[in-house]
Amino acid sequence: MDYLIHTLIVALIFSIFSISLNLELGYTGLYNFGHVAFFGIGAYTSSLMSLAGLPVTLGMACGMAVAGGVGALLAIPALRLSGDYFGIATLAFGEMVRLFFLNERWLTKGPMGLPGIPRPFYIEEGVAGLPLFLVLCFLLTLAVYVTVHYLTTAPFGRALKVVREDEYVAQALGKDVLSLKIRSMTVGSILAGLAGGLWAHYITYISPGDFTLNETILVLLCVVLGGRGTNWGPILGAFVIIFFQEFLRFLPIPADFGRLVAPLQGMIYGGVLVFLMLKRPGGLLPEYRV
Amino acid sequence: MTYYVQLILNGVIAGSIYALFAVGLTMVYGVFRFINFAHGELIAWGAYLVLPFMHIPFSLPIYYAALPALVVTVAIGLAQDRYVYRHLRHGNRITLLIASIGLSYLLRNGIRLIWGSDLMTYGLEPTRGLTFAGLSITLTQISMMAAAVLFLGILFLILTRTMIGKCLRAAADNMELADIMGISMKKVGLTVWVLASVFAGVGGILLALDTNLEPMMGLINLIKAFAAVLLGGAGNVWGALLGGLFIGIAENLGVAFLSPGYKDFISFSLIILLLLFRPKGIFGILGGVR
Repeated sequence: MDYLIHTLIVALIFSIFSISLNLELGYTGLYNFGHVAFFGIGAYTSSLMSLAGLPVTLGMACGMAVAGGVGALLAIPALRLSGDYFGIATLAFGEMVRLFFLNERWLTKGPMGLPGIPRPFYIEEGVAGLPLFLVLCFLLTLAVYVTVHYLTTAPFGRALKVVREDEYVAQALGKDVLSLKIRSMTVGSILAGLAGGLWAHYITYISPGDFTLNETILVLLCVVLGGRGTNWGPILGAFVIIFFQEFLRFLPIPADFGRLVAPLQGMIYGGVLVFLMLKRPGGLLPEYRV
Repeated sequence: MTYYVQLILNGVIAGSIYALFAVGLTMVYGVFRFINFAHGELIAWGAYLVLPFMHIPFSLPIYYAALPALVVTVAIGLAQDRYVYRHLRHGNRITLLIASIGLSYLLRNGIRLIWGSDLMTYGLEPTRGLTFAGLSITLTQISMMAAAVLFLGILFLILTRTMIGKCLRAAADNMELADIMGISMKKVGLTVWVLASVFAGVGGILLALDTNLEPMMGLINLIKAFAAVLLGGAGNVWGALLGGLFIGIAENLGVAFLSPGYKDFISFSLIILLLLFRPKGIFGILGGVR
């Protein structure tokens, strides 16, 4: 039962993370391949602040603010580029942030990571706090879902979709394309920072190894599998992927092959991404097009 | 003073390898107008594939083992195009990019599955360093540079002196016009993938001679190659060559001022800076020769 709650919590955190990427990738058409950087920035900011004795809630709010600020700062130069260039620039940015976490030992303790990150004061340590943490994650996911649903059904969301389909049309309609993209990326980064903060306070230990390209691929797969540009898609994708991952642990795999599981899982994820693009680019819940 | 000259020399050696990676990436971009994220994996596979041919049952010396390794690398490159990219070329660009990042993840985890995640080497005898006027260089490094110069020279001859090379440059300039003029796009596509795979494979093998093999080598070098491509202006082969040298020198000189942990940071931040100030590339002025 505790294990099920744990899986649900992780799936909900990844739902928030996927929703944030979907806003950029699905709605605005920005291929952000370094999205994990904002997850990491949120996690590290919040952990460092709460380890310094500040309240967890304040830490998470600051984590979101820092992630959003960095997102906006990155967006300004990177969004001058179209498509593929933006993809590589964000990929490089993701690696830069990871190198920063790894090398600035005075701040992040480098590869040792940060242990003993406190949970919010009203949630007990260890297993006893799980149900309450699930409620917290559920409420936050709901809040994020409602916010993004509101944003994307408002004219703002429709404008984003126009930018995705054809920038020139958006310009011709009098939309400021750059500003729309920057706003979309800022909101996406803030939400990724929230997911990162939740993750850090839930797992209570983070290290630079948690924020690699693998996590970006995982969240990309959640979004693409569920359905880009829909509101339910990323949540569905996150639940399918996380439950699949946890289900793998129960397979009776001989110890000799244990070493092979992680690469095989990676190959499956990569293969599924390619297969989806070839056969079903819309994902499980394709976007409804008028 | 000698110290800095030595750093520049190391930079030229590293840079000539980056140039090999970058010309392939920029050629694919020039003709197909997309960044192949799986290009890095061709580098890694080229390097790793030497290993089975060096051991039982083949037991070839390294220079002979490199040949079948390159053949297999080219086969992987062609398979990428045949089974994935060809079907997506005319669709949505986001689909193509997600497929290429999925493919790179699949191939990278394939390496981890077969060879494991640990550092490996070719297990060659360390060669003696030669010393000239206080500068040291090993025989391996000399042969690396010689091979890089040889391959880039061959590329120059192919692009300027042969019919297919001229067709390739025409296609990079304007694909539709080249098609109308009766240039076979199938042939051009084939040549581009073969050349890109060969250069990636050769570069990977040369790099692994001097350093070591690890599954992430493809990704790191892809980012560096992309920095070189950006410096040179995308699609510009000679620009990519100069860009590669520049990145190598900048990175090695940077070690004199920054902690070595940040060595990779230099090329990454160079990407962001370039995007900010010179999105058309520094050597774009030398354009014309594509």
